[in-house]
Amino acid sequence: MKILVTAKRVVDPDSKIQIADTQTSIELDDVDFRVNYFCENAIEAALELQDEHDAEVVVCSIGNEDAIQTIRTGLAMGGDRGILVEAEDEVLDGDLVARTLAKLYEQEKPDIFLLGKQAIDGDSNQVGQLLAEYLSLPQACFASNIDIIEDGAVARVEREVDGGIETIDVDLPCIITADLRLNEPRYASLPGIMKAKRKKIEEFELDDLELDTTLKVVTRSMELPAGRQAGVMVSDVDELVNKLKSEAKVL
Amino acid sequence: MSDLFNPTDEHRQLREMVRAFAEREVEVQAHEFDKKEAFNHALFLKLGELGLLGITVHPEFGGSGMDATAATIVHEELSAVDPGFTLAYLAHSMLFVNNLAVNGTPEQCARFLPRSCTGDLIGGMGMSEPGAGTDVLGMRTTAVRDGDHYVINGAKMWITNGCINDTELGDVFLIYARTGDHAADLSSFIIEKGTPGFSLGQRIKDKLGMRASPTAELVFEDCRVPAANRVGDEGKATLCMMRNLEIERVTLAAMSLGIARRCIEIMNAYASDRKAFGQPINRFGQIQRHIADSYGEFMAGRSYVYHTSNALRLESAGNRLDSDGVKLYCSTMAKNVADRAIQVLGGYGYVGEYTVERLWRDAKLLEIGGGTIEAHQKNMTRDLSRLPRIL
Ligand SMILES: Cc1cc2nc3c(=O)[nH]c(=O)nc-3n(C[C@H](O)[C@H](O)[C@H](O)COP(=O)(O)OP(=O)(O)OC[C@H]3O[C@@H](n4cnc5c(N)ncnc54)[C@H](O)[C@@H]3O)c2cc1C
Repeated sequence: MKILVTAKRVVDPDSKIQIADTQTSIELDDVDFRVNYFCENAIEAALELQDEHDAEVVVCSIGNEDAIQTIRTGLAMGGDRGILVEAEDEVLDGDLVARTLAKLYEQEKPDIFLLGKQAIDGDSNQVGQLLAEYLSLPQACFASNIDIIEDGAVARVEREVDGGIETIDVDLPCIITADLRLNEPRYASLPGIMKAKRKKIEEFELDDLELDTTLKVVTRSMELPAGRQAGVMVSDVDELVNKLKSEAKVL
Repeated sequence: MSDLFNPTDEHRQLREMVRAFAEREVEVQAHEFDKKEAFNHALFLKLGELGLLGITVHPEFGGSGMDATAATIVHEELSAVDPGFTLAYLAHSMLFVNNLAVNGTPEQCARFLPRSCTGDLIGGMGMSEPGAGTDVLGMRTTAVRDGDHYVINGAKMWITNGCINDTELGDVFLIYARTGDHAADLSSFIIEKGTPGFSLGQRIKDKLGMRASPTAELVFEDCRVPAANRVGDEGKATLCMMRNLEIERVTLAAMSLGIARRCIEIMNAYASDRKAFGQPINRFGQIQRHIADSYGEFMAGRSYVYHTSNALRLESAGNRLDSDGVKLYCSTMAKNVADRAIQVLGGYGYVGEYTVERLWRDAKLLEIGGGTIEAHQKNMTRDLSRLPRIL
């Protein structure tokens, strides 16, 4: 079995975000980066399948050359090898990312393509779905549990939907996107970090893949959310109830 | 992407991993284990799973095969959330595990290191005695050869990991003892829990800080230790001791860095939020001085520590000037920074909930343990007197 899994490099949500002078991107100089949380869940899921089904796990990322560190983290967690497609964030949109990943799919022919359900920076939640569409493969998005059944022919996936859990079966090969409750990602252990040094990472330029790189989505502007309004002190319960009724209109 | 504090990608990944682990799993228990003066054994075992317990040990013996800077990074990151727990880690990984890895025979390493790297054995090191601390060559514990054994008599004081709770000894120790009449005639021995004549004298309770690391007095009464447990040649342990003190002091200095960094983060955030006289208190000059001085001193200390660790070779001695120097500077720096953090937080700084109170108590130990600041001043001045020019 072979699993392809994504590891997007995103701005650490604990960093203080500032918008660049162009107003269309954020300032990347003084922020920390990390692996997208949902990708970490996807990697963990891939590694659990690696243990159970002797799968090869290939960690891929699209980003600038620093994204190689994100791949290394995936390899240090236990991935077998990596693929980096070099491209700056500005020249990408969700659709182009999906078409790029489709190329990697054609090249690697994995049994399962695992992704995070969305990236915590752009929050678009599109790539897994688009990828399934481009490849005409079944998709199971927002997975909270994955079991491989019928001798590796089918993935039984539990999905978190409004108000409950839906269980679906999808034929392999398939696209699965990971939700936070899928698992508890492992840490890259120190021996893992040392081993990852020697694992192979293949690198491509976006141009090597002969894709139409016209963007369908262009960012026009960005602004920070308005600062929170100061709270008000109420003097007694009556005033509180009053305000909840008349101003907040929640009672 | 390399810098002074993360000389290679592996160092950077190590820092990220330990920081994530510290924030997610160490932080949450720190206050509780400090309050109840308890060692968190389960958490310690997780350090083993992450490959941190044998960080400097060759992979052949179950370690991760990394260098002094890697050890420095781990101590800085863990100490930023829980210095007490970090001290127990240091006593195990630096004072016992690294010491044996550098000075032991392959047989001794094979016997004890694999289980120490997983955390199945909890180790410590005994140098100090009730009557001899700074004057370590004044130690009185003796080891007398008797056939295939040595008979050990005496007591060791202040031994971190000497016990793991009120009644149980730690598992295995490197103990220094006198094997001749000259002051420097010292030898070191691996002594395991369960060796006849080896017992827990007392668990030392009620410490000011570092309460999550257990401290004990160890007693040896006609304790018979196989000669095969002697580490290095008879009478030659002083060099082993001096060599290991270097990495001990650098990692203790790294603990001070963790404390200082955390205190600066806390006072900085607080001073931007807290308002007095209609404005955030970080608009006041005196508060600015607390914050800016702390950051400058912290970065100076941090640069000095990593400059020293990057040059430190674990298998060689001869870096005493700077391994003493980093601890001399950073221990007092962190104590002062913690003090300023309390000052900036006012009343809130004085209670446990805001963490700086605990860090302030923990910071003080680093001016005493692993050599007092006076001992560093003594050693450094002696070394400097032989160094007419500073290159
Ligand atoms: C929490 C804790 C954990 C510890 N863990 C360990 C451990 O795991 N293993 C271990 O072996 N030890 C350990 N120690 C012991 C520690 O290393 C000693 O406490 C330290 O070396 C000081 O020795 P002392 O307490 O006997 O003080 P002393 O040496 O008696 O010193 C008392 C005072 O006199 C000063 N002084 C002494 N000599 C001189 C001099 N020549 N010039 C100027 N001033 C001088 C000292 O600086 C100090 O201010 C630990 C101590 C503590 C508190």
